[in-house]
Parts: sequence; structure tokens; C-alpha cells
Amino acid sequence: MRALGRAGRHVGGRLLAAIPAVLGVLVLTFLVMRVLPGDPAVYFAGGPSAGQAEIDALRAEMGLDKPVPVQLLYYFRDIAGGDLGRSLTTGQPVLTDIRQRLPASLELTFSALLIALLAAVPLGILAALRPGSAVDHLVRFLCTMGVCMPTFVTGLLLIYVFYYLLGWSPDPTGRLDIFAATPPEITGFLLVDFALTGDGEGWRAAATQLLLPAATMALFVLAPLARMTRASMLAVLGGEFIRTARAMGLPGWRIILVYALRNAILPVLTIAGIVFSTMLGANVLVEKVFSWPGVASYALDALQASDYAPVQGFVLLMASIFVVVNLVIDLLYGLADPRARTE
Amino acid sequence: MTVTRRQGLMGLAALGASPIALSATPALAQAASRAETLRQITGGAINTLDPTMPGTTRESFGLSMNVYDRLVAFGRKQVNGNWVFDNTEIRGELAERFEISADGLTITLHLRPGALWHDGTPVTAEDVKWSLDRHVSAKSLAVSQFQTGSLTSTEQFRVAGPGVVVVTLDKPDRLALSNLAVTYAIMINSTLAKKHATDDDPWAQKWMQTNTAAGGAYKVESFRPGVQAVLTRNEDWKNGPLPFFRRVISQTVPEAATRANLIEKGDADIAIDLQTSDIASLESRGQVKVASIPQTNGFTHISFNTRMAPFDNPKVRQAIAAALPYDDMFKASLFGRGRKLYGGDWTTPPGIDFPQPMPVKQDLDKARALLAEAGMAGGFATTFSFGASTAATAEPVAALVQEALGRIGIKVEIQKLPDAQLNTLQAEKKLAFYTDSGTAWLPATYYFFFLYFTRDQRWNFASWENPRIAELANAARFERDPAAYEAQCREMITILADQMPLLMLWQPNMDAVMGKAIEGFTYQFYRQVDFRDLKRA
Repeated sequence: MRALGRAGRHVGGRLLAAIPAVLGVLVLTFLVMRVLPGDPAVYFAGGPSAGQAEIDALRAEMGLDKPVPVQLLYYFRDIAGGDLGRSLTTGQPVLTDIRQRLPASLELTFSALLIALLAAVPLGILAALRPGSAVDHLVRFLCTMGVCMPTFVTGLLLIYVFYYLLGWSPDPTGRLDIFAATPPEITGFLLVDFALTGDGEGWRAAATQLLLPAATMALFVLAPLARMTRASMLAVLGGEFIRTARAMGLPGWRIILVYALRNAILPVLTIAGIVFSTMLGANVLVEKVFSWPGVASYALDALQASDYAPVQGFVLLMASIFVVVNLVIDLLYGLADPRARTE
Repeated sequence: MTVTRRQGLMGLAALGASPIALSATPALAQAASRAETLRQITGGAINTLDPTMPGTTRESFGLSMNVYDRLVAFGRKQVNGNWVFDNTEIRGELAERFEISADGLTITLHLRPGALWHDGTPVTAEDVKWSLDRHVSAKSLAVSQFQTGSLTSTEQFRVAGPGVVVVTLDKPDRLALSNLAVTYAIMINSTLAKKHATDDDPWAQKWMQTNTAAGGAYKVESFRPGVQAVLTRNEDWKNGPLPFFRRVISQTVPEAATRANLIEKGDADIAIDLQTSDIASLESRGQVKVASIPQTNGFTHISFNTRMAPFDNPKVRQAIAAALPYDDMFKASLFGRGRKLYGGDWTTPPGIDFPQPMPVKQDLDKARALLAEAGMAGGFATTFSFGASTAATAEPVAALVQEALGRIGIKVEIQKLPDAQLNTLQAEKKLAFYTDSGTAWLPATYYFFFLYFTRDQRWNFASWENPRIAELANAARFERDPAAYEAQCREMITILADQMPLLMLWQPNMDAVMGKAIEGFTYQFYRQVDFRDLKRA
């Protein structure tokens, strides 16, 4: 119970400490958006016969006719009230847009990270067990390929092979076959929603739809995870306690999975956290290629149109997620290595 | 917690070992209606259900034509085996018929008896009056459009009995009736819309962005902005022949290569925005049908800022016009898929249609001579800009412009700008030399000149001020005598050809790529698919 209370205080403290950083990011984004050339009022009052009057009216409606510091104050007031503004690109409140799109991005990123970890950790271990061998070189080759192929190339290639040539994969647009029924929205995660409603066929459909984009993303992040596992395993495997374990005649898998991996997993967790945050925002290309209705492509569309509110909302979201992910990783440290708990 | 870390790891390993089969999902339940369902895929997205909202995308215009009725509509005609809209033939849509008085000042519209809104209530003259009032009063894109038809005040619209609406004009505007057919001129179920109006928003603009109060051929079944919209046919629609497709899905697929794959595999039925480079190979493989139709109401151009030196000197503009390799640009940019607007051979225009091929061709000696006459024999340096979204077609043009002008001593720096930035600079009249394109919904010659070559406004691409053009455009607008109108148009085209505030390049084709069984595609003035035209053979 005392341990739980201490953990709670720790979490609370961390969250409080993150507030100044998030605020700083918000102010910076706000200013950068306004410094960038490109006037959203001009862009959106783009009807074939719209003139200066329409542009001015729109500017006033968006509050852009006021001085920037005043705009910033209004912006903070709105955020405090939970209002992230309205997107001109979609015509909806930004909060609604994000609520609809975030589960899509999260589902994709979680799946990709899971696939990447399931592939990278065993590969990294194999490479570390036989450094310099053919296996090691194969892993190195795979990682290099994954990193140097841009994600949209991998994506288009996978679509070409698995959809266009072989016809194994469903058409690569969106989260679900366009003609299929969507599950009732419970969590927004299709796999979870289908599982909750017990719709096996729907779950399968959503999973096959998810597989190609998730594999594309996984390939890209395979390298940092596998290389980190290898390096960290190499260091640990040379340790005295491993030699002792071997001398005591413990079974090989037990030494590797229980004693070595557990000690080697900390840096991998750190990298996994960073990779996760990066994937969520930076894999806009995967979302574009697979018509995935996620937050990253939403932010990019808004940015191209100088649509301030969605970009600011997206940055706020990313900053918050980054804070939470870092916290979760820290808590996971404690699970993996009791020494990390004693702060 | 009883699961140890070891067990957790083993569990993860087991998960990784279980294979996930990769296969297409059978869509048996939907198979029956697939033939009656049209799936359109678009690069852009539908962002509003109310087409008059600022920022409405072209895809939203297309949707609104299928969901809302207008009072009148344009006909269509066949050109080279393809259907193209015909703005000279105006037929009734929600109005069964209309009469224009002899002096052109009164338009009487008779609503179709028995016409219903989507909610089943009858369409009344009061609904029409409210809708027209909205288009001249609410802060929307419709206001400035309606001004081009001399429709500016609510007093011009009068209910003259059950099912009869009268529109009165101060002057016999040539395009008053045509404006009732444009995308913005939607007819709204006013009883429904008023329920959602507020003091701040008397015209229910907020509500109508995500809801409809319509009576058109299709109802919106579901709408997710930026992702997809699903329409179902309105079985009670009486304002035209019932469309073939019972259901239409319009889905956003941002990646052009994916769109091409989907159409070729037959999973999607129609797309109008594939990459030009993909279309030729799609055509050669023969799995799809391509309708290539020049966008007759549009034009791609190279504009000079006529207020900025050295482009304020007509001689400089003429010199550049004589220096450009038009045929090379046409091939490199569009693979020749379009209609040329250069290489005309005339001193007085052969017809009054606009745009038409202008008398320019490459002649480097003439270009050097003109440049010398302008006192710039040594050349000068300038920048040539274009928007990032048009890069696929504009980049080759820019490279060729740079190369050709280099040969007469003009040093060109190429500038690729994000669209919002290009538009801002355009509106502020700060671009010196750039390429862009324009489209007029109502392709009347005077309208092109009024929109693109007069007044201090954004669409005057070249910031051109020519008193004679302004005078002619304003006169032509209200001219009742066909011969006089023709003379005015001819003179405007002649002045343009001489002064060259901008260089007309071409009208790109709209390449509608569709399944082989899809028939009836029509090129519409708003450059989108009208689902009502289509059927599956």
C-alpha cells in the first residue's frame, strides 16, 4: 500500500514537472505557425469569385485580425476550457477530429511496435549469440534495408506485391473493407471493438487490413530495436554472472531469456518508447499510402493549408503523449530492474 | 498479479509464433448490392456538406450537386464522343419551367409540383425564397458569386403565389439565370434549417456543415470529413430521371498510385485525379476505360505582374511570349493530354469563344529584338514561382522557361512555394512571374474577362489594369444585342493578344479513369463527378 502511494506521488510529480515543457512547446508552435508565410484566410476564401471582403471577414472570424499576444491569450483561454478550435480543412472541432482519428493511429502504432519488437528482440539476441557469424550479417542486412528504404517505398512495394500482383491482401484503403459494416464504437480500436462484440469475421477483416501498414512501419523501426538488443545483449553476455550461470550448468535458454535478456532489456525499452512517440507522428507517409485516417496525415493536411488550429492541437497531443510514454517507460524500468525503482 | 515476468515473456513468444493469415475478406453479404454501388476514390477530401462555406473543397462541390437541387441546371452535349456540360442550354431542375421577360429584367420560376424534401415535406416557394435570401445575405462564398449575376439583395426575390418565385433585376444581366445553376445556389429545406438557426447564426451555417436540409437525388447516409461519404439514392426524387446507382461511396485515397491500383483491380469504379504519367500505362494495359476531356472552362497560364518592373513594359512581356518553347512545355508537362491555347494564327480572332488559341509561337530573334526595343538587351534576373500541389505539371514548365529565357539573357530563379503561401503572395500581388491555373464556372467570354482581367482583386492574376477592357467587360455584361456583344468580345480578345498580361498555355484534360462497365461520365463545370449521369452497363 505504501509502495502504491509512493508510486502515485511519483507519477503525479512527474506529470506536474512536465507542464512547463508542454506549455513551452505550445507557445512555440503558436508563434511558428503565425510566422510561417501563408495566410489561412486567403487560402480558405478561395472560391472562384471570392474577393478581399471575404478574406477580411474570414480573418475576423478566425480572430486573426487581432495582435498576436491577444490571440495567444485567447488561445490559452480556449485550451483551458478544453476547446482546441475548429479545423477549416474538415469543418469540425479539432477535438472531435482528434478523438475520431487518434484510435486509428494508436492501433496502427501499437500493432507496428508489437510486430517490430517480436521480430527485433529475437533477431538481436540471435545476432548477439553469434557475433560475426552469417546470422549476425543477415540481421545487419535486414536492419540496413529497413532503415534505408523510405516507408512509402516499402508501403507501395508491399501493396504492389500483396494486393496488386498476388491479391492476398484486401484493398489497401483505410481500416476496414469499405463495403463491410463497422462495429459499434466502444473504444475506437477496431480490433478491441470487434473482440468485445464477438464478431470474429470482422476482427479478421480489420486485422488483415492492419497487417500491411503495420508491417511497413515495423520494418522501418526494426533497425534501432534489433541493433540495441544486440549491443546490450553483447555487453551483458560478457558479464561474470553469465559465466557463473553457465558454470553452474543452468539450461542455455534460461540463461539467455531470464538472466541475460532481463538485464539487457532496459536500453531496448528506452528506444522502444522513443520509437513509439516518433512513429505516432512521423509515419505520415504510411498513413497517406494506406489512406489510414490517422492524426499524422490530418496534421500534415492542415499544415499545408496553413490551418492553425489542427496543427496546434496535434502538437499539444504529441507533447502530452510523449510525456505519458516517457512516464510509462520509467515505470517499466522498475518492473524490469528492481534497482531502477529505488529513487 | 500472479503472472511472472518469465511467463509474460513466454506468452509474448507464443503470440509471435502464431501466424496471422493474410487474405482478402469475402464480402458475401454485400455482393448483391455491389453492382448498384458506385465507389469513387478521390485524392482530396470532402470537408463540408454546405458548399457555400469558405474553404469548401472541390470534392464537396461535387457531393453537393448530388445531394442538393438547384432551381435550374445546365444541359449536356456530346463532343468527340464524350459528354460535356452545356451552359447555353439551361433546363429546369427544382423549377419545372421558367420564363424570362422580354426586357430580361424578370425571371419567373415555377416549382415542380409534388417535389419533396428528403424528410418528406413538400417544397414551397417560401423555402426557395429563404434559400435565395441566404445566398445574398449570409457570410458565404455565394454572395460574391451571386453578384456576378446582379443578384445582390433579398428584395429581388419574391413569392408570387404557391409554387411561383419571381426574380427581378435592375439591369438585364447576361448571367443572372446561369447563377441559379451554379454549385452555390442550393435549395434548402428552410423549415428544417431554421430549427437549427441561432441568434448568432441565423442561416444555420454551422449546422449545415455536417447536416443536410436538402431534396436532391441522393441522401447522405454517413459523412466523415476527410475520410469518406456514403450516399443513398432518394427514391422519391422527381426533379430528373432517377439515377442508376442506389448507393455511392466517395472515399479519400491520398496516394495516387494506390488509386490507380484500386481502379485497375476493379475494386473502385471511378477516379478523376490520377497522375498523368500513370494514365498512359493504365490505358495501354486495357483493364480500364479512360475518358479524356479538355477542361473547356479552365486554362493554365503564365502570368506577369504588370505593376512590377520590368513586366510593366508590354514589350518585355511580348519578348518572353516569343521566347518560350510552347510545344516542348506542352509535351513535358501534360504529355500532350489537353487542348493547346497557343499557336493561333490570326490578327483578328476567328471566333468569340474564350479561351481560344492565342497567336503566340517561339521566335528567338523576335524575342531578342523586342527585348532590345524595351531597352533591356542585356537581359535581367527574375523569379518564376509555382505552387507545390501543381508541381507535377508546373515543374517541367518552370525548367523549360528557365532554359529558354536563359537564351535571351534573362536569368530565372525557380521558386516552389507551399500553396497557402503562393495564394497569399498572389492576393497581395507580390509575385513577379508565375504559373497557375483558373477555371470559370460560367464560361461566357465576358465573364472570363470580368473575373480574370479586371478589378483590383486576387483573380486578376496579372494585376492588369486596362481601362478599355474594364469598359468592354461591363458593357458586354448587359448587352442585349448579339452583334454588339460579339464585337465587344472580339475586341477584348484582340487587346489581350496584343498586351499579353498573361500567356495562355493550355486546357489540361480531365482524365476520368473508370471500370469498363461504367457509362455516361460527363465533364461538369465544377470539375467533379455527377453521380446522376453514371450507370453500370
